[in-house]
Amino acid sequence: MKKISLIIALLATLAGVSFADGHSKEVNIFSARHYDSDIQLYEKFTAKTGIKVNVISGKDKALQKRIIEEEKDSKADLYITADAGRLGTFQAKGMFQRGASSKAIKAAVPSNFRTAYWTGIAKRARIIYYSPERVSASDLKEMTYENLADPKWKGKIVIRKSNNVYNQSLVASLIKNNGKKATAEWAKGVVANMARDSKGNDRAQILAVAAGEADIAVANTYYLALMLSGKKGVEQQAAAKKVKPFFPNQDGRGTHMNISGGGILKYAPNKANAIKFLEFLVTKEAQEHIVNNTFEYPMIDGVEPHELVAQMGLGFKQDLKIKVSSYGKKQADALEVMLAASWK
Amino acid sequence: MKIKKINFWYLTSFIISFAVAIPIITVFSSFFETTTNYSLILRDTFLYDYIYNSFILLIGVLLLTFVLGVGCAYIVSFYYFPGVNFFKWALILSFAVPAYIYAYSLTAFFENYGTAFSILKNVFGENDYNSLIPKFDGMLGAIISISFSLFGYVYVLTRASFHYQSQNLIELGKNLGFSKKKSFFKIILPSARPAIIGGLSLVAMETLSDFGSVSFFGVSTLTTGIYNAWISFDDLVLANRLSFYLLIFILGLFILENFSRKKAQYHLPSKGGFKSKVPITLSGQKSFLAFMFCFIIFFISFLFPVFQMLYWTIIFPKHFMDLNINQLFLNTILLVFLSFCFLISLAFISNYGNRVSRSKFLESLTAFSVSGYAIPGIILAVAFITFVSWFDNTVISFFKVNTIKSIFIGSILGLVLVYFIRFYSLAYNGIKSGYLKINYSIDESSYLLGYSKFKTFTKIHIPYLKNSIFLIGILISIEIIKELPITLIMRPFNFETFATTAYIFASQDLLEAAAAPSLLLILIASVFILVTSKYILKD
Repeated sequence: MKKISLIIALLATLAGVSFADGHSKEVNIFSARHYDSDIQLYEKFTAKTGIKVNVISGKDKALQKRIIEEEKDSKADLYITADAGRLGTFQAKGMFQRGASSKAIKAAVPSNFRTAYWTGIAKRARIIYYSPERVSASDLKEMTYENLADPKWKGKIVIRKSNNVYNQSLVASLIKNNGKKATAEWAKGVVANMARDSKGNDRAQILAVAAGEADIAVANTYYLALMLSGKKGVEQQAAAKKVKPFFPNQDGRGTHMNISGGGILKYAPNKANAIKFLEFLVTKEAQEHIVNNTFEYPMIDGVEPHELVAQMGLGFKQDLKIKVSSYGKKQADALEVMLAASWK
Repeated sequence: MKIKKINFWYLTSFIISFAVAIPIITVFSSFFETTTNYSLILRDTFLYDYIYNSFILLIGVLLLTFVLGVGCAYIVSFYYFPGVNFFKWALILSFAVPAYIYAYSLTAFFENYGTAFSILKNVFGENDYNSLIPKFDGMLGAIISISFSLFGYVYVLTRASFHYQSQNLIELGKNLGFSKKKSFFKIILPSARPAIIGGLSLVAMETLSDFGSVSFFGVSTLTTGIYNAWISFDDLVLANRLSFYLLIFILGLFILENFSRKKAQYHLPSKGGFKSKVPITLSGQKSFLAFMFCFIIFFISFLFPVFQMLYWTIIFPKHFMDLNINQLFLNTILLVFLSFCFLISLAFISNYGNRVSRSKFLESLTAFSVSGYAIPGIILAVAFITFVSWFDNTVISFFKVNTIKSIFIGSILGLVLVYFIRFYSLAYNGIKSGYLKINYSIDESSYLLGYSKFKTFTKIHIPYLKNSIFLIGILISIEIIKELPITLIMRPFNFETFATTAYIFASQDLLEAAAAPSLLLILIASVFILVTSKYILKD
């Protein structure tokens, strides 16, 4: 019987671990967007406000599932992830509450990049990369996302798989602009132009252009800067220099923008702290930290992006007509048209 | 001596087996609800892709692990050449490298402008080598990563079987005038068949439930399909159909495995009257070839990922400096220790309960609960969360008591419980195989001597099974050190292990930063393996 009482004692201790987090000066974050530099950011916040930051990071959908199942017993206050579509879908499930449009956030973040339920904390553009050796400036004149389906690019394009959420958001924005039917045709054209079956992450697409496997790649902006920074080693730094960025749709609606962002969860036990944390993320101090570590664009005015990002070009026209919050609603359609076109 | 059907042991074993079975039931029962998010056409596309990919992956991995595992086992068992004693245990070090870390290494080395490019550039000077370097990604990458991290199962079991093959069998071949090749295919291989199939079915089970490496390479299998359908799209109809197919795959494997085990009884070696085997000493070219075969497999399976991770840790030392190694180590060891205690003690009780009650019903329930091993960790974790919240919403809230969710979700307790469900079969079967060696008459004698059941358990069985416990404990520990998806979903706030740290960096495309935690994970798992290598190789 000694053993049984020992087991009971052990159980009680273990359960105690989970009861013990009952501080009120804290904010609990579920994050699907994680950088090692985040820790310093949290420390800055704690130093400023005295609020402790607790984090669980993991895969986007699995974290969402846990929040949904925990329901009103969830300790999570904030959900942070990359891609506006993901935030929109989670909002549609009723998992956020209002609060992301406090005065401070409204003043800092343009309305295109936030809703009442969540706000962007940094921006990225999904752009075209090309090899200046094989693609001339005149080839790219007035280049648009739509033109990626032009047969003149046959066998020259690399882009990620259709299950990638950034592609889904890009195609969602095309559906919003050109309609589902036209986008379905477009997807077929793009697939016909692919240099190979889709594989690898965004960086692998850029490297494929550098290595001569393709002439044009579609990828997010921060990947090139990451390679140029030397954080991926000298070879990739040299490779990144063989590739040039191009911002499409400059003569029309502008380049497709996306965000990483966060929203306050429906049952947040520390709502006030969560709002404070979001507000902190869009202060100048936090924004400078974010852009210099993740190579994203700042969400607020008055902060310069990282030097390497600035070199890629700053004055480009962003697509501000379409609210990023519309991506989530069209992502399922986007996946459907891509798969119908046999986009791997 | 008559044994009462219902007693303390029966009840305890029943409760343990039932508790383990709950999430497994949840996985399948929750899919009987109907929600549809995909259009029908899409769903059929997915379904076909998932089944096709799982099938190709399975076949590829089985073929490769068969060649690697049986090849190594054969060479080190039947031949003597320089280094053979080293390779005997060195080849099991591949257990220390999880498939997802293997996948990171493979990508890092072979990608455009990767490590291979750097090496070629430094040796032969500036040139465009990318088109010369083979690309191991997608399905091929997944097959290679999984095969090299799992072939150890086939190797260990086949080697054990070869080890007990008597010299007589080989001499029989000689007497019949068989060539070496013919002896191998006609005598040696068939007599080791049960062990080979046993190893392959373990490999198959792990392959089907793999999440880390297939999602890294973007290969959509039944497991990632269930994850997407159920968790991303709430499409329970598709999830249900996928689970059904996964279940068919797994059932097929179970039948195959059981079948091979039954056969194994006919192959058990009897000890008396047989000459022990003397390995043939190889010389010259043959000795060199045997050495190279083992060395290349050892290199590719273990040294290659270790070198790649070490290389990155050295050229990007900042990531290593930033790592809170003490905390990660303590967390990992805490999980290993708790899971070890839980799994071993409960698997023990359940085994004993099954033994003393000899109930068919209990046996079937246990057999069912053991299938938790075949359910992918990520699915199991979500099923556990779903069950706890359902139980809390219906049963607990009915009694108006406090919520139990926070006790089980996002706590160490919950995490260890899901580990328990996932690895219960490993612990249960391990102890069972030890128990099978204790004759029932020993129990009877113990009762005759006036020992109670409890005393028989503590004074006779536990000391008897010390070695089995030790071995199984280490195997569980290695699995838990490497475990990723369950830990990711179930862990409390601010709680990281080497595996989760590596994953988080890798998911941000910072494989360089994932190198240091990966390397430490491999080192710790290697230490555990080295401690037990003589036990693993003995049995």
